[in-house]
Amino acid sequence: MTVPTLSEPEATAPDKQSRTPGPERGESLAARVVRALLTQRIVLLAVLIVLVVVYFIVLGANGYLTAAYDFDYMSAALINAVPLAMLGFAELIVILSGRGGIDLSVGAIVSLAGMIFGFAYGQWGWPLWLAIAITVLVGGVLGLVNGILVAYIGFPALIATLATYYAYKSIAVVINNQRPISTRPIQNLYDSTARSVELPLIGSYIPNVPKGIFLFLLPTLIVVWLLLARTTYGRRVYAIGTNDVAARWSAIGVRATRAGAYTISGLISGLVAVVTVGQFASARPDAGVSGNGMALPAITIAVLGGVAITGGIGRVSGIVLATVLIVWMNAGIRLAFEGNAGPQYQLLALGVLLVFAALLNGFALRRYGGAG
Amino acid sequence: MSIDVAERDRTPPSGPEQTTTGRQRVLAPPVTGQELVLIGVIAVLWAVLAFTTPAFFTPSSIQPLVASVAPIALIGIGMTVVIITGGIDVSVGAAIAVCSVITAKLVLVQADQSLLVAVIISVIVGGLLGLLNGVLIAYGRVHAIIITFGTANIFLWIALKIFNSTTVNNIPDTLAPLGNGAAGRTFGVPHSFLITVVLAAIAWYYLRHTAGGRHFFAIGGDQLAAQLAGVKVRQRILAAYVLTGLLVGLASTFVVAQGSNLGQNVGGGKELAVIAAVVIGGTSITGGRGSVLGTVLGALLVQTVASGVTQLGWRSELSDLFVGVAIIIAVGADLLRERARGKR
Repeated sequence: MTVPTLSEPEATAPDKQSRTPGPERGESLAARVVRALLTQRIVLLAVLIVLVVVYFIVLGANGYLTAAYDFDYMSAALINAVPLAMLGFAELIVILSGRGGIDLSVGAIVSLAGMIFGFAYGQWGWPLWLAIAITVLVGGVLGLVNGILVAYIGFPALIATLATYYAYKSIAVVINNQRPISTRPIQNLYDSTARSVELPLIGSYIPNVPKGIFLFLLPTLIVVWLLLARTTYGRRVYAIGTNDVAARWSAIGVRATRAGAYTISGLISGLVAVVTVGQFASARPDAGVSGNGMALPAITIAVLGGVAITGGIGRVSGIVLATVLIVWMNAGIRLAFEGNAGPQYQLLALGVLLVFAALLNGFALRRYGGAG
Repeated sequence: MSIDVAERDRTPPSGPEQTTTGRQRVLAPPVTGQELVLIGVIAVLWAVLAFTTPAFFTPSSIQPLVASVAPIALIGIGMTVVIITGGIDVSVGAAIAVCSVITAKLVLVQADQSLLVAVIISVIVGGLLGLLNGVLIAYGRVHAIIITFGTANIFLWIALKIFNSTTVNNIPDTLAPLGNGAAGRTFGVPHSFLITVVLAAIAWYYLRHTAGGRHFFAIGGDQLAAQLAGVKVRQRILAAYVLTGLLVGLASTFVVAQGSNLGQNVGGGKELAVIAAVVIGGTSITGGRGSVLGTVLGALLVQTVASGVTQLGWRSELSDLFVGVAIIIAVGADLLRERARGKR
């Protein structure tokens, strides 16, 4: 136990937030609500989710949408939350570790590890569990390379992961001559990952939920949450992210801890590779880097979820709510516009939301947080 | 404070240690170690390529190479200034898309305007996009990478709106003097490359030898100290992003000039290519140190690698692998030198 005095996990995590004065005496209810909205990212996100859902349900009821925006649709849309939230967790851990921590290579790791999964399960005929294990392991090794570059050699994270982004992306394309792998076993994976299922016991009362949520997202969520909030390692990540030098003087292995953060990011990316292959029913060499790639949305989710880009501040719950907000908003936008306009407006909404969240962060820090 | 740092350097400070160890340089040497290494690496690469592929040292191979360097290096000038101030701009790829689709579709295809009008409009549009970034970053006081991730999405939306789900076809060859064809060359040198070299030289001089240029370094070194020393920090940061935007506008005309079609994926991934060129050129991503010359050399190295990979008959996707390795080696060498400097 390196930080024995801090028993409440939430207490250290937002070190800067803890400086925020609590509700002051004589503050009106309205002022208190505004304070909660501005300083508690989770409150803000929850309110935004409610607003978005109500807005689209009202639009749907008045016939402005091309299909019903109902709970079945919202539930089915959650399949998109699986890779997004998982990579959001990856970015969370890396950004938390501080010193400009960021991982641009997650999309490229998804591509490369996905190809390995395609080989192992689709072509070599390995058993599924072994194929998944090797994929996650490959992701971890690729992440470890980032970790060594950043933590031990001292590369700025942006540069190290930019370089490995290029390298991994390139290897993923070349490894199978730019061809996707979509043999029979890979195609059958769709059923076991992306298909919606009825839950036992309460299933008849709520809509069917995509399997990927239970098979991949929830286990990752629980492990990451336990890791950050309930283990020594998690405390160390917050410590090195908050103050690198102070952490070193507290006898924390700063380098190993930081390298570990990038390795975990790689492990999660490896798992996302399995999800993505199942979702596309094909191992595509450009799965994680086509278009905008997977790294930028994941970083966006992290920032929107209240993770401070300077490190040391951020929680799993913020990532979850930010993901749900984005996924349900995108699902609504898809119904509100026909053809290509939908995906385009998703870009606009994402951009505006990100700028808005960032400006709000800065404002809240100045208004309530004292010196930023 | 408007004292030129170079000026201050020339008057020897009175101190006992100066007489024996020589003057402490305030200004980095005109060509830094990183740039010498880059020149060496590029020379070796060109020599190897010239021996292995006879087609490499022919005008038809070198001309497209330096022409493809131009947009990356040009935007790299602005990106160098931005990174020197401690910021970053990941929206340049999307900004290229906006500028080129406006130039190609609205100005050239629909309005059939002249070369000058097209360039001016493209540069103004780029400047406006840069202004948006600059205002948000300088006055919103938010970390640049977050803001520019956000504006990148917004810019991309604008571009796709104007594309309206189709590629732009039959672009008139008004911009040919900036393109890859015979009209785009004087004495065999592409005009786009000449413009880039001239602008880079001006930027290099401005950053090194004028008070205004040194302010950018001061901001990147220590923003608070710069503010206390009288540097107008916000205006300078704003100017850095507007400059990048203007250069994106100019570079977009080079991009449009390259063909008669413009696809919707124009500019995609260019932000990373520009950042790669800047960091390979020895500019410190944490700010306070860097040079335009290095950026131009970095862009040249990246394009040489890309060109070499295709000329050797390897898969063109392999060039990304070498770009990644080049970044690691270039920045790693810089890190080692920095560490050696620290120990001395």
